[in-house]
Amino acid sequence: MKKGIALVVLTILFAWQMVSSYAIQRFPKPEFESGYITPETLLPTPRAEILEVMDVAVLLLALSVVTWAVLKRRSRNLVFWISIFSLAYFGFYREGCVCSIGSIQNVTLAIFAGSYVIPWTVLVFFLSPLVYTLLFGRTFCAGVCPFGAFQDLVSWRPQKIGTRLNAVLGVIPYIYLGLAVLYAATATDFIICRYDPFIGIFRFDALFSMFIFGGILLLCGVFIARPYCRFLCPYGVLLNWISRFSKYHMTITPSICVECRLCEDSCPYESIEKPVTVKNPESRKMVVRKFILIMLLIPFFMLLGGWTGSQIHESLAKVNGKVRMADELLHPEKIQAEPESIEMTAFKASGKSVKELYNEASRILRQFYIGGWILGGFIGLTIGGLLAGRLITRYRTDFEPNRGTCYSCSRCVDYCPIKS
Amino acid sequence: MKQQLIIITALILLIAGIGYLVIDLFYSESGASDNPYAYGLNELRKSDSSLIDYQEIQHFPAGLSEVYGIAADPANRIYVTGANGVEIYSPGGEKISEFSFPDTAYCIAVTPDGNLLLGMVDHIEIMTPGGEILSRWKPESEASVLTSVATDGTDIFVADAGKKIVYRYDREGTLLNRIGKKDSLKGIPGFVIPSPYFDLGIGRDDELWVVNSGRHLFEAFRPDGSLISTWGKTSTGVEGFCGCCNPSNFAMLSDGSFVTSEKGIERVKVYLPSGEFKCLVAAPDQFDQGTRGIDLAVDSEERILVLDPWRNQIRIFIKKGENNDEK
Repeated sequence: MKKGIALVVLTILFAWQMVSSYAIQRFPKPEFESGYITPETLLPTPRAEILEVMDVAVLLLALSVVTWAVLKRRSRNLVFWISIFSLAYFGFYREGCVCSIGSIQNVTLAIFAGSYVIPWTVLVFFLSPLVYTLLFGRTFCAGVCPFGAFQDLVSWRPQKIGTRLNAVLGVIPYIYLGLAVLYAATATDFIICRYDPFIGIFRFDALFSMFIFGGILLLCGVFIARPYCRFLCPYGVLLNWISRFSKYHMTITPSICVECRLCEDSCPYESIEKPVTVKNPESRKMVVRKFILIMLLIPFFMLLGGWTGSQIHESLAKVNGKVRMADELLHPEKIQAEPESIEMTAFKASGKSVKELYNEASRILRQFYIGGWILGGFIGLTIGGLLAGRLITRYRTDFEPNRGTCYSCSRCVDYCPIKS
Repeated sequence: MKQQLIIITALILLIAGIGYLVIDLFYSESGASDNPYAYGLNELRKSDSSLIDYQEIQHFPAGLSEVYGIAADPANRIYVTGANGVEIYSPGGEKISEFSFPDTAYCIAVTPDGNLLLGMVDHIEIMTPGGEILSRWKPESEASVLTSVATDGTDIFVADAGKKIVYRYDREGTLLNRIGKKDSLKGIPGFVIPSPYFDLGIGRDDELWVVNSGRHLFEAFRPDGSLISTWGKTSTGVEGFCGCCNPSNFAMLSDGSFVTSEKGIERVKVYLPSGEFKCLVAAPDQFDQGTRGIDLAVDSEERILVLDPWRNQIRIFIKKGENNDEK
């Protein structure tokens, strides 16, 4: 039934975008015989402030309603319909912008580049899901994020891929987050937006390769639920951390778990923790050994990662337009066959001297050297932390959602026989 | 087993997608440097060689410093005009004669009695092949830019790109009527001429054909200005015309087919009288990039005479498989 609804919804949303793409003007313009004069082409005006307020109001309302649906109504159906609304509004109507995922870069740029003033709406889109997550878990992912909703709609035959593979692929969002912050902090690029797989589909306008990438994610999403959320989303990393401390996180059962195991396989994201009873408590000696190992493991990986990051900082910096241009000027033989880049044309027209460019590139390279240490250290910390996490045994008596990775989608709730 | 295969395939696809991001971010320099707004025609310049039905058999340089117009007479003599003069060549390319004048002629046609019709930028001249002026007159507007002349033996038709209109004169230069002015009641759409490429010619039934280049259309008129028919297709493919204003010039084959030349994507093509694309005469790679104003003429042996203003050459094309020596 839901699959049918999803197909109908997607057909309607795509048709909506298709209709707007027919409105492309061709040359020459038609000469109307009724005397109608075609208006001048105008540059799009900034979005009216009242509409920006509406976006924020819709975000907060959607967050509140989905949180109520998850925690109070405990209704998967309601979450599903809210996610369809979010996909239509934040995805196809607002065309994926502004989005909380990309707002990480705006916040980073605002922190590191003094001249950049972050729009208040972007700040609200960044902060409000984090605040809701701190209080109620990842209800934003459940039904407000259009990316999550899009993938949820096509998650028709989800298969489990196993804890280990989940953990390995789960490192990618941390690397992506680190890179996104590094490139935003150095005012290099907003890579989250550049490689946004769904925005091109929402707008019906993207590089062909990004259409393909978006299509691959949706195709994978049929069998591996929410691949972008689980293995790429950098905002998900922040939500994962914060959700672990959430005060009122969703529970599978509203009362005492009877361990009927009906919910055991209900989660397509493999986020249900099975009970671990205290049958064989670890000896004190074992606990101390594990603690020492963790204390050694994490700094080791951080240092290794940091050193590696510092060694590849020049490669990382090549993404920066100024560094790349300075490199092209230093090694003109590399680009003989290429047409002159648009950045190079702009630089030559600016009247700046090559020495100024080299100085600037050198300053950016220094930033990348420090950034390389921090990025590598962060990735090392992540890997070390994940390994350490596997060494720690957590005891629980009930089937519980993993507070970090659970998207609060409420699928498992439907399986629980205890309804009140 | 099937489930495992699905998971493995999906994972490979996912990892390939992520791999693409990494390669594009760190190793694809051109992707980041290319101007996404560049108006690139290189892909469109590629053409299927099997569509080329003509071969170039000869080319020779023009003696004028700038060339703009070419015509042929019934004896297959070739007339070339441009800056300050006219040159007359034999069918084989030997210069027979030449004469000069102080102006620049932008178009030329040969009348049935062997005289020359020349369109200067702001006036018309009728001259003998020896250069003697028989008649001379100016259009009424100072904004006129004359780009093409033709005659059906009785009247003279002049294309004015400045005023976006065609004038019909008698042989003394008396204006008889204007052709092509927008008239919705008569179904005349009006000429859209964004640049000074506005050609006209006479069809095999003495109808006047005019290129409405901004609309990528050929329009046929009777001498009284009534519209007979139109054809044309806007397309970036070889079968149509594209850009702001194409085709830039044309000539007629004896069976009523059209030989067209384009700028932007420099090429010469043949269309059937019905307007269907037939073949290529010369592909874009046979011209220097940027060549504009390729004028055309067809002689009585159906040879296509191409005036290449960039190379300052007269280039002669015949159908593949036809032996020029026999002719």
